[in-house]
This record gives sequence, C-alpha cells and structure tokens, in this order.
Amino acid sequence: MRAMKTGLAGLAAMLLLTAAGSAFADPVTVNFLTAEKPETFADAIAQFEKANPDIKVNFETVPFDSMVPTIEARVGGKDSSIDVFLVDTPRVPAMANSGLLAKINDEMDKVKAVANEESQGVLTYKGDLYALPFWSSTQLMYYNKNLFDKAGVAYPSAEQKDRMTYEQTIDMAKKVMAGSGAKYGFVPEQIDRYYQLQPIFEGNGGGSGLTGPDNLTPDVTNDKWIAAGKFYASLFADNIAPRGITDDQMQTTFTSGQDVFYVGGPWQFTNFNSVKDLHYGVAPVPYWKDGKPQTPTDSWGVAISPYAAHPAEALKWAEYITLNAEGLAPIIKQNPIIPVNKDAYPAYIDWIASLDPKIGPDAKKIMTYEIADTAVSRPRSIGYVAFETVMNKAFSDIRNGSDVEATLKQAQQQLTSQLRRIQ
Amino acid sequence: MRKWRNFWVAMIFLLPAILSVVVLRLWPAILALHQSLLAPRATTYSFDNYIYIFTDPVFLNSVWITLFFSIIVNPLQIAVSLGLAVVMNNKLPGTGFWRSLILLPVAIPQSVSAVVWAVAFRPDGLLNSLLAVFGIGPQRYITSPDQSLASIILVVSWIGVGYWMTMLIAGLQDIPKVLYEAATIDGATAWQKFQHVTVPQLRRPLTFVLVADTVANFLVFAPVSILTNGGPQGSTDLIMNEIYTSAFINSDPGSASAATMVLIALVLVIVLIQFRLMSDRGEK
Amino acid sequence: MKEPSGIDRITPRQVFHMAVIVVIGLTFLLPLYWLTLSSVRPEDDIFRYLNPFSLWTFIPNRLTFDNIVNLWTGVFARAIFNSLFVAIVTVVAGLAVCAPAAFALAAIEFPGRAIVFTAMIVSFLIPFDAIAVPLFYLMRGFNLQNTYTGLILPGLGNGLTVFLLRQFFLGIPKDLSEAAQLDGMGWFGIFWRIYLPLSTPALISAGLIMFIFQWQAYLWPLLIAPSNDMKVAPVALAQFSTEYHVSFGLIFAGAMFLSLIPMVILVGFQQYFTSSVAATGSKE
Repeated sequence: MRAMKTGLAGLAAMLLLTAAGSAFADPVTVNFLTAEKPETFADAIAQFEKANPDIKVNFETVPFDSMVPTIEARVGGKDSSIDVFLVDTPRVPAMANSGLLAKINDEMDKVKAVANEESQGVLTYKGDLYALPFWSSTQLMYYNKNLFDKAGVAYPSAEQKDRMTYEQTIDMAKKVMAGSGAKYGFVPEQIDRYYQLQPIFEGNGGGSGLTGPDNLTPDVTNDKWIAAGKFYASLFADNIAPRGITDDQMQTTFTSGQDVFYVGGPWQFTNFNSVKDLHYGVAPVPYWKDGKPQTPTDSWGVAISPYAAHPAEALKWAEYITLNAEGLAPIIKQNPIIPVNKDAYPAYIDWIASLDPKIGPDAKKIMTYEIADTAVSRPRSIGYVAFETVMNKAFSDIRNGSDVEATLKQAQQQLTSQLRRIQ
Repeated sequence: MRKWRNFWVAMIFLLPAILSVVVLRLWPAILALHQSLLAPRATTYSFDNYIYIFTDPVFLNSVWITLFFSIIVNPLQIAVSLGLAVVMNNKLPGTGFWRSLILLPVAIPQSVSAVVWAVAFRPDGLLNSLLAVFGIGPQRYITSPDQSLASIILVVSWIGVGYWMTMLIAGLQDIPKVLYEAATIDGATAWQKFQHVTVPQLRRPLTFVLVADTVANFLVFAPVSILTNGGPQGSTDLIMNEIYTSAFINSDPGSASAATMVLIALVLVIVLIQFRLMSDRGEK
Repeated sequence: MKEPSGIDRITPRQVFHMAVIVVIGLTFLLPLYWLTLSSVRPEDDIFRYLNPFSLWTFIPNRLTFDNIVNLWTGVFARAIFNSLFVAIVTVVAGLAVCAPAAFALAAIEFPGRAIVFTAMIVSFLIPFDAIAVPLFYLMRGFNLQNTYTGLILPGLGNGLTVFLLRQFFLGIPKDLSEAAQLDGMGWFGIFWRIYLPLSTPALISAGLIMFIFQWQAYLWPLLIAPSNDMKVAPVALAQFSTEYHVSFGLIFAGAMFLSLIPMVILVGFQQYFTSSVAATGSKE
C-alpha cells in the first residue's frame, strides 16, 4: 500500500513537473525573411509576440535583388533556417514548381474571405494555394502643378471617366514642356521593367507576351507589340523621357521639379510630400484609345517554407500579418503599401487620403477604382522570371534606340530557347 | 634522405594553405564541374549544358565581348599604370598622400563605386556638365552601344590602376641607380633611358602585373551588373554577368556551372600563354 | 625619371612634376569629394545641382548632418564593426596561413616544390565569385552561415599573397639559413627567428592586400551572413535601396565612411606597401 502511494505520488509529481515544464518551455522561434527595413515589421512583431508569448519572430532582411537567390539557396538547400518569407507573387508558379513553397490549401476559405478574385489568382498554382495575400500595388500619374501653372495649361482631371489616352497625355506633356521649360514630359518610374510597362504593351490588345496552355509560348512580335514598342521608343527619341537614368533614380527627375508627368506607385507620397516647393496633383494613368484601361498590380505575398522547423507557429505568424487586419495595421503605418486584405484597406486608404488634404481625396478615388476595375496581374507561368529578364533587356535596348522589330524578334528567339529549357 | 625529411617539414608549413586551396577552391570547383554535367531535371551526366551554351547566341556574344574587352583593357591599363608609376615615383612632399588616393578606389566596395559612376554617367550627370563647361555636347556613355564598353573600361580602370601602379612603383624603386647614371654619362635622353633601362629592368614586375590584371579583367562583374546589365544590345555583356544571370536570376545552375568551367579554362589558357611569352628567362 | 633625393632647393622641373601629380590626384579625389559632399547635404539637393555646372555642384548651400546621424543610429554601426573585425582577423589568420607556405616554397628544398607552387597558384586563379555558390552549400553543411568564421575563411588563402611573400623570401640570402642549420637550428627556428623578422614590410603589404580583399567583399558576405547583426558594411548599405525608395543621402554617407577607413589605413601604411613589394621585383 505504502509503496503504491509513494509510486502514485511520484507519478503525479512527475506529471505535474512535466506539465509545468512545458508551460515554461523555451519559446519557438519563427525565422522571417524579407527585403524590407526592420522598422516596417518591428511593431507588428512586438504586438504578435505579446499576444503569443510562446512564439518569437526573428526578422531578417536582404537586399531586394537578393531575395530570390537567397530563398533558392536556403530553402532550396532544404535547411530550416527560414520559416516564413515574402514571395514576389509573379514568381509563385516557378517557386511552387521548384518545391520552395509549402502547400496551404486549408487556408483557402480564409483567403477568399479577405481578398478579391484577381488577388486570389496570384497565390495559387495548379489549383493549390501557396501564399497568403499581403501587399498589392497600383499606379497613379503624378503631375507637377508648378510647371502647369507656368505653361498656362489646365490640370488634368482626377476622374476616371476623363482618363486621357497616351496620345492626349503626350500632347499635353509637350505643351507644358514648351511653356515651362521643363526637361522631361512623361517619366515611368520602374523604367525598362515589365511590371511598369505591361499596360503599354498589353493594353492595346497585344496580349501579355506569353500565351499557350501554360503561358510558356512567347508572343512578343505581333503588330500590337511592335506598335507599343515604337511608342515606347519615341518617348526617348523625342526627349520626353530620359535615357541613362536607372529606375531607382527616376524619382529624382520629379522631385527636382524638372518633370511634367510621373507614373509611379502610391509609395511616392511620403517622398514627394517631403520635398519643399513641389506642388503636385494626381490623375489616372493613361490608356490606349482602342484598348481598355489597365494598371499594374500585385506585390508581395507571404509564404511558408516546406522545410520550416515549426510549421504551425510559422503559419500563425503568416496569418497574423495577412488575414488579420489588426496585424496589418502597424505595418501599414510604417510602409504605405496597399494591403490586399479588404478589412485592412479602409484604414490604409483613409490614411493615404489624410497625408495631403489637397490631393488625398483624388488619390483615394483613383486608387480604389484602379484596384477594383483595371488591375491586371502579370502572366502566371513557371517561365515568368526568364520572360521578365529577357523582356526587361529588350525594353532597355529599345529605350536606348535599337530597332524595335529587330529587338523584339531577338527577344522572341531567346525566349523560345530559354522557355524550352524549363519545360 | 635530407630531401624527404625536408618534404615532410615543408608539408607542415604548407598544410593550412593546402587545406584552404582544397576546401575553398578545388572542392567547390569540382562541385561546379559536377553541376555543369547535369542537364535540368537530369540524373545522369551529359554534355547538354555545354551544348546549350555553345549554341546560345547570348553566351557566345559574351565570350566574344569578354575577349574583345580583354585585348583593349589590359594593354591600356598597363600603360596607364606604368605612366602613373613613373610620375608618382618620387620623394616630393605629399606624394604618399596622392598615391594613396589613387590606390583608394580598390578598397571601396565596387557596388559603391558603381553608384557614384551611375550618377556621373547620367545624361544630366557630372561628366556631361563638365563637358558642357568646355562646350562639348552631352555624351550617352552607358546608353550607347558604341560608348558603353569604353565607359565600363573607364570605371574599371579608375577602380584598378592604383593597385598596379603601386606594384610598378616598387619595381621601379628596385632598379639600380647606377644603370641610370651610366645612361646619363652615355648622353641618353629621358625617353631613351625609359626605353633601354626602365622597361627591360621592369620585366619581372610587368609580367606579374600583366598576368594578374588579365585575370582580374576576366572577372569584371559589379560595374556591369549595376550600370548596364550587359546592354545596350549586349555590348557590355561580359561573361561573369552571364554566369550570374544564369545562376541567380534564371535559376539555371547547370548552364551557370558550364559557363564557369569555360571561363576557368579560358583564364588558365591565357595565363599560360602570357607566362610563356614573357618569361623566357625562366620564372622562379 | 627618378628625382635625386635629398636636394633641398626646388627646381622648376620639380614644381611642374608636382603640378602633374596634383592634377592626377585631383581626378581621383573628385568622385570621393563629391561623395562626401553629397552625404552632408539634403537629398534632393544632390541631384538638383548636377547640371548645369555651378558653384553649388561642389559647394553645398544647405548643410545637414541628418544623413550621418541616421546612418549611425541604424544597423550600420554594427556592420562597420563586423567589417573591421572580419578584415583584421583575416589579416592575422591569413598571414599565419600564407607566410609559412611562402616560406616553404621559397626556402626549403624539397621534391615536387615547383609542382606544389604551380598547382597552388593555378588553383587560386579559379575565380572566387564563380565558385561562391557551391562553396556556400559546402559551408552551410558545416553550419557556418551567419558566423564570423564563414565570413573570414575565404579570405585566408590568397594566391597573390603567397606569390608575393614567396618572392620576398626568395630575396633573403640562402647563407643565412645555411649558417643557421649548421648551428643546429631547425626549419621552424629559421622561419621564426630569421625570415620573419626580416620581412616586416612584406608582411605589412601582404596584410594590406588581404585587408582590402575583405573590406570590399560583397557577394560572399551577402550569401553567407545576411542576418542583421552579422552583416558587413557593404551589404548593410545595400539595404538603403528598397523596392520603393532609395535613400541616396544614407548611401552616400555610408559610402563616405566605407572609403574613409581604408583611406586612413592606406595613407598610414603605404610606405611599406611600395618598399616591400620592391623586394619582390627583379632581385636576381
């Protein structure tokens, strides 16, 4: 009897100790990799850790150009040093195909609850869900009011029904340039990048550049593409946009007051607002007369590594910053990028509108409309990266004056052989 | 048996270096070779990757551009470094400071130098505004297929000549003064002294500088990647840029490794040729 | 064109010579001066005054130290420490690897010496950037990511250093070691007590080469040590160009410091650099 009592007591003690032990277990660390500054996520992480004392989030950042190589090296090397990371949504098919993203089909319903259809599309591949919706993007056309005043030209309208065509925009730009002495008339921000130029090349009905059942057949030499290419070339040949300035330095043409129109993202608001004497307005981006208005969209999504050491906790963090408006709030404050989550969107857009009471309401109107009605994602294909790399080089050559048809033909050839290698 | 005892002692001295050569160079190189023989999604060896790159006009262009670049940049940099060495080889006050300044670009990360030069090359940048002062119209530099390679040569030379200049100054300081005094007695001019005393005496350091510079120029990458990305129209697409693009952007380790093997082979062949040509006196 | 040393009066020829030196020096100084200038002026001013050339291109009309303050209150402080630590340890450990190897290859007669030397130099000709990726997988297998060891290792074995040190050691008269051996001293003693003390300038210059190599390294540190507290300075600088905004003020401020530190070292040590490499020239 005595022995059994002692035994039971011992067992009970052991059980209690184990239970106590697990309550005081070491917190699980979730490694989170992005290309953003630490400040962007610091508050969200603090908030999350407070609500989940048994999880710590370890934030790592690498430069933007190194995100993909880093993920390939580390996740591709099957090591568990990354649990959660931001994924550039056009790359989801290729990365899913290479086994770099964990399948998260159970989250599908939650995703449908917060994201619109266009945004859902970029998170899946062959019917499976691989990423959670995080950020999106859109474009506006900023214009320099000082230059318009000097030239005596009326401001363009912020109403989408008065959206100008490319022809009208360039004519207006030329007029303002002549009247104000501005150096540049129409400057796209991410110059020579497919993301920025997609509306110019696809918007007149030329197709995205990739066709076929898996979007693995290049189609960049049709008439519409050549016409778009000639338009793009003319911007530089006629000195309306500069050659030789890299895309990260493009905004300096606008902030230095030398450019009439600037097509860029809403992330420029804080930048432009900080420049003294820069009075600017916003209008919707132009469109092709015979085409439909189209805007670039999408940005980063959140994915989980298939080799994550702690997949459950990793998912918790990923959900927190995507499906949970509360988790998104501190991030939005730090980095004004559009959240896909429609519950978090109102707080975001109102904050944008409040930045500058003069143009805020216009910006809100334009952005909300574009995201809902004119956003077109980049083509979904496992060959997207090769496509984008080759096309960006082709755009750069066209910008620098090479023959449009010859350049596009060469790109077509190169793409055909490269995409064949991927299949 | 002294020699064999010496052998083992020497091996102890050499051990750390041999280890680092094997682990940090040979082993990864073998891995790269292995990678180059595996076509995408293949599990057996084949030459597919090599066939792919040798039928790829882009890769072939990069080999051609690299060779063309090499033929121009190497003699140019040697000549400039030698000239600089001659000018900077003296004990005038402040020379040490200026020499350090010329050497400094070597120590600055190339990504930084490239950003500064990007600003200089802008159509509204410093170079054009300087030219405007002299009444010369704006140049296109890295956006013109005709000027871009020359621009890269300029950047790479600004970064590198200090290094070679320093080595050549050392070589100059080694030349026995008696030789110059003898030449002066014979009535030689400065140019003749240069031709008949300086250059022959500099043979060893010049060989070394030529070989090292050639190798370095085969590996040029950062300025191309940041300033031109190989363009316009592939006119600056040096081979390291293609390797990087294949490996890190196209995620095609097979063709990247194959191209790396080709690069290594090219470097070795050219270095061997240079050694043969310049050291008939017998390199030690 | 060697100026006679120790002459006190300044000749017109010397004045002209100095003028040439200053002009050349200035062309190298200009980009660095512009860099420094850009880091103490507000960001939009940097690009506003590029063109046309004006007084404000080179003299700031508005000064601000915000860029510098913001730079140092961020990750950069830690990154500079990392860069310095890695570079200094690389020099010390690198000399410990290369000097003995160079000694063995220069002073000890052993069978196969020529082959070992050639093999070693040729292996170091394998371009580092090209084998960086397989090397990365290798190191990761040993869990060396985000460690100082991972950052330092590739800098230890340096073919140029071995080559130069060997050249220098070859210049030390053999009689010294022969006499020592007759007195019963072993190779280690000869190395430690005879060759090393005579080699201070060569060691300093070899150290400088390795320091420079590590200081400007970018691709390798990016791969092996991306975490915030292990980043080296050039990688940390790249952080200031995010997708949405490039903080040029911060980048230029960081670039200025990245250039200042090696500049100080180079100016301080450059006399050793030239005088040491001197001994590797045409000694025999």
